[in-house]
Amino acid sequence: MTNVTRREFSAGALATGVVGGIAPAFAQGEPKRGGTLVATWGGGEPQACYVPAGGGSSPIFSSSKLFERLGDRTMSGEFVGELAEGWKPAADFKSYVVKLRKGVKFHDGKDMTVEDVVYSADEIWRKFAAAAALTDLTGVEAPDADTVVFKFNKPTPEFFFSSLLCGVVSYVVPKHIYAGTDPVTNPANNAPIGTGPWKFKEWVRGSHFEYVKNDAYWRKGYPYLDRMIIRYVRDPAGRAAAMEAGEIHIGVFNPVAPPDIKRLTATGKFAATSKGYEESVWSTSFECNLRNPIFEKREVRQAMFHAIDRSFIAKTVYYGYARPGTSPIFSPNKEFFTADTYRTEFDPKKAAALLDGAGFPKKADGKRFTLNLLAAGWFTENGKIGAYVKQALEDVGVGINLTVPDRPTSIKRIYTDYDFDLAISNQSNPSEPVPATTQYYTSDGIKKGVPFRNASGFHTAEVDALVERIKVETDAAKRKAMIVEFQQIITREAPNLPLVELESITVASTKVQNHSNDPDYLAASWYDIWLA
Amino acid sequence: MRVAPAGGSSRRLAALRLLRRRLVQAVPLLLGVLIINFVLIQLAPGSFLELMTAENQVSDPTTVELLRKTYGLDDPVWLQLLKYIWALAHLDFGFSYRQNMPVIDAILIHLPATLLLMLSSITLAFVVGVAAGVVASVKVRTVWDSLVSIAAMFFFAAPSFWLGIMMIVLFALKLGWLPVSGMATIGGGGGVLDVLRHLILPTLALGLFYAAIYARVMRSAMLEVAQLDFVRAARAKGLSRTKVTLSHVLRNALLPVVTILGVQMGTVLAGSVVIESVFSWPGIGSLLFDSVSSRNYPVVLGIMVLGSLVVIVANIVVDLVYMWLDPRIEIR
Amino acid sequence: MERFGFLARFARNRGALAGALMILVVALAALVAPLAFPIDPLRIVGAPELWPGEAPEFPLGTDSLGRDILAMIVHGARATLLIGLFASAVATLIGVSAGAIAGYFGGWIDETMMRVAELFQTIPNLIFVLTIVMILGSTLTNIVIAIGIVSWTSIARLTRAEFLALRDREFVQACRAMGMSNLRIIVGEILPNALPPVIVLSSLVVAGAVLFESAVSFLGLGDPNVASWGRLIGDGRQLIRSSWYISAIPGVAVMVTVLCLNLIGDGLNDALNPKLRDR
Repeated sequence: MTNVTRREFSAGALATGVVGGIAPAFAQGEPKRGGTLVATWGGGEPQACYVPAGGGSSPIFSSSKLFERLGDRTMSGEFVGELAEGWKPAADFKSYVVKLRKGVKFHDGKDMTVEDVVYSADEIWRKFAAAAALTDLTGVEAPDADTVVFKFNKPTPEFFFSSLLCGVVSYVVPKHIYAGTDPVTNPANNAPIGTGPWKFKEWVRGSHFEYVKNDAYWRKGYPYLDRMIIRYVRDPAGRAAAMEAGEIHIGVFNPVAPPDIKRLTATGKFAATSKGYEESVWSTSFECNLRNPIFEKREVRQAMFHAIDRSFIAKTVYYGYARPGTSPIFSPNKEFFTADTYRTEFDPKKAAALLDGAGFPKKADGKRFTLNLLAAGWFTENGKIGAYVKQALEDVGVGINLTVPDRPTSIKRIYTDYDFDLAISNQSNPSEPVPATTQYYTSDGIKKGVPFRNASGFHTAEVDALVERIKVETDAAKRKAMIVEFQQIITREAPNLPLVELESITVASTKVQNHSNDPDYLAASWYDIWLA
Repeated sequence: MRVAPAGGSSRRLAALRLLRRRLVQAVPLLLGVLIINFVLIQLAPGSFLELMTAENQVSDPTTVELLRKTYGLDDPVWLQLLKYIWALAHLDFGFSYRQNMPVIDAILIHLPATLLLMLSSITLAFVVGVAAGVVASVKVRTVWDSLVSIAAMFFFAAPSFWLGIMMIVLFALKLGWLPVSGMATIGGGGGVLDVLRHLILPTLALGLFYAAIYARVMRSAMLEVAQLDFVRAARAKGLSRTKVTLSHVLRNALLPVVTILGVQMGTVLAGSVVIESVFSWPGIGSLLFDSVSSRNYPVVLGIMVLGSLVVIVANIVVDLVYMWLDPRIEIR
Repeated sequence: MERFGFLARFARNRGALAGALMILVVALAALVAPLAFPIDPLRIVGAPELWPGEAPEFPLGTDSLGRDILAMIVHGARATLLIGLFASAVATLIGVSAGAIAGYFGGWIDETMMRVAELFQTIPNLIFVLTIVMILGSTLTNIVIAIGIVSWTSIARLTRAEFLALRDREFVQACRAMGMSNLRIIVGEILPNALPPVIVLSSLVVAGAVLFESAVSFLGLGDPNVASWGRLIGDGRQLIRSSWYISAIPGVAVMVTVLCLNLIGDGLNDALNPKLRDR
């Protein structure tokens, strides 16, 4: 059984002390009750408060305060129960028994039951939220009022299943609201009803969400604050100005430009931290389209990476808030990352030599061949990286035509039409590599028209088989060894590798306490945040 | 233009005639705007369906087909256009699936901010431009005249968005007198004064360009009218210079300025879209960019139609003002 | 004799003279660019965000990636003038054709043409340009065509007015009597006489095109392979707190260019319409 953390235990004890009606003098570090927190993030307003398929970081940020998941991962890496008390695999690992927490109510007063979990898993997770991860789920049943059983047709590793329950939009949604409707267009998505510490009050379009404290929240004594407001400000300078004026207390996911981070923290009234993003590491990736016969040989692909100075990108484009990436699995991943991979360090001479050796010498005009480079325009940084990569590749004799299309055109060209030779895109992956990371490199990850899948076209029988074994290996040590092997193969084959891993930053007023205490803080419920 | 007999009732009649004519002409105009933009959107790579299925991670073919039907994209293109025009005739601008609200609501949330900016810029441009032009013409070929000319040249040639950025650097960042961006202070400190403070720089950035134009036009118009016979006659009759200037010359010199104002209404609207981007002003500019970016064609078409409507209405108002200023004129 | 009179009248307007000289400087910079600054201006050549004067090899400093701003300004002159000229050419081509046909033939052709012109004048022009570029893609060709499409109406109206005035003159009637085809009359006889004011207007359209292009590039919709002044202003926008020179310098370049084009337009106007002088 997975444990209840010590933190929750002591918090409960604290709550009883306060509820006793005495008003003790709060020493520093004792949570203060009441008040309104104003939060923002580094992007814009979501298209809906809750999007069943995820819909990007914005709706995840807004909906995660209202909904909850069966489990959560702590900063120390443990899996703990949230709406579940715990879970256990069967002996053959083909099913898991989940014990549901009792006494949890939805915001409209109705009880959360096993039916809601079954509905959520069957209709929401399997179809939208975690479709790729649940291909082997055969059924979800509720043998009694406290238990839900997940059945798979293959042995399923415990780490994988635990990650599933903590899936970023694998919420338990109210069946009585969503059953019989189309979850994508259900109007409740704009005024969600969940079990979370915050209740939806109002959405003033173009401005903010207002949430109020859930008085019937199952974690007794939480939340500390009365209200939370999520404010959307279109430009980073405006956010910085608002924070300086004390109008916004905390901003997650790079709310302000790097020079402003330094400026704000220098005043002593703000703190910046890169904690809280360990389960949601973003990267900027660079991939080769293997449908172009030039990329048939792995030496050519390796040469592309050798020509690029990843440190320059980290330092100049991201102002140091990034680090060179070496593996398809990112370095904060304590379970599976290995540094023992094939390195494509910045070495233009080696790049040139590899291209010569592969049969692509420089022609009379100094060019070996010309490629189309597509830098996805959804982040301005990608355009700048595109300009740099163009220069770097031209320096080793590869002619480049650069385009920086807007979001829908980029999605279409990269993931539907495969209309590119080289592409600069982005990924955000959790610690569990299946399927988020592996599907970029397997044949079943090639899904025309579905974004953020295998667009390079890379697949080999060896890697396909390896990933299939990783999916069913229940011994943790053996599994890790396989994933290490996976990284070594992929870095050597170099079809799609990260250029840099991005360091996401949270900026908060020093008044804000108990923040950045979840490895995916943007998607956490913020039940224990308070203002000094 | 016809010269019509002066007199109150015939003026009113002429105005009504104009109104009716213009409104009738507006229909094919708007239709044309619609068709052009509809065709344009169809040419765009990547459709709304593709974007929504991408964002919702939908790959199941039956769901995709269902969504296609829901968005009305399974009809042939010409039918989509006809359906849209039919709905529009009933003042139904359609539904924006991206914002999950009717298009008209989405636009109306953003439109007031743009109209506020446009109105204040035009007012500033008119008042400052006319005043500067009058001063320059009255003090022609003196230092004042040269100053106005130089200032006009500067503000005419400087790109408005660049002017906006430079003003932010000077007045907001260096001097700290005015806010950096937005329409109101976050946290709703709010109120009319707060909005007015935020309105100053965007208005200047957008309006000074037009003020420069009006100043020059006003100046040459004043000089031209001052030489006309009826003005000389008034002076000969012994009326004071100021009185002549203000009542006779000014009124007639305003005509060209008013004409230009009408013609440029479309460019003012367009200019405000860029200024909105510089100052993060929450008007339809951001809605337009987001909607084109997501191929949300009902919203794009709605904005185009409403924008063109604003231009048409402004032109009608200008023509009416023109007719009021010079009752001898009837505009065809 | 007439030629000298024209130049003399042009030169008498000191502003126009100054404008013409400045434009020559800009044009010279555009021509000289590949020689004086042979490295691709979009190449990263130094440390990022150096202020003008901070490093001797970069007199105007560097941008956020470390590109030489002076090189981008000089090469940008090329892009800017070319776009301005080509867009104006497109607008003039469409406008003169439409105006000539409308003015010469009159009747329902004229009516239709004027309705179409009114249509293009009603759609807010920059919004239309932005929409076209966003939809069809950010290439130089698309930008030039988009700007041309929104700029032709004023040229059309002017051409039409000129043709209306000229088509009933004796020399035209004489040509008709001689049996000349309409096309020959339009192109060979009337057009040369109608052109002078159209040329003046075209020069102002070039100025407008320069402003349009800088707005499009500023918003990030310009061709990424071109060193445009507008793009530089846009790039510098995020850094106005610390490095506002990145936005300031290219804006001055645009302003000077547009100013000169307007002065030249004024001068041409004065030179070609001496009666209307002395305002």
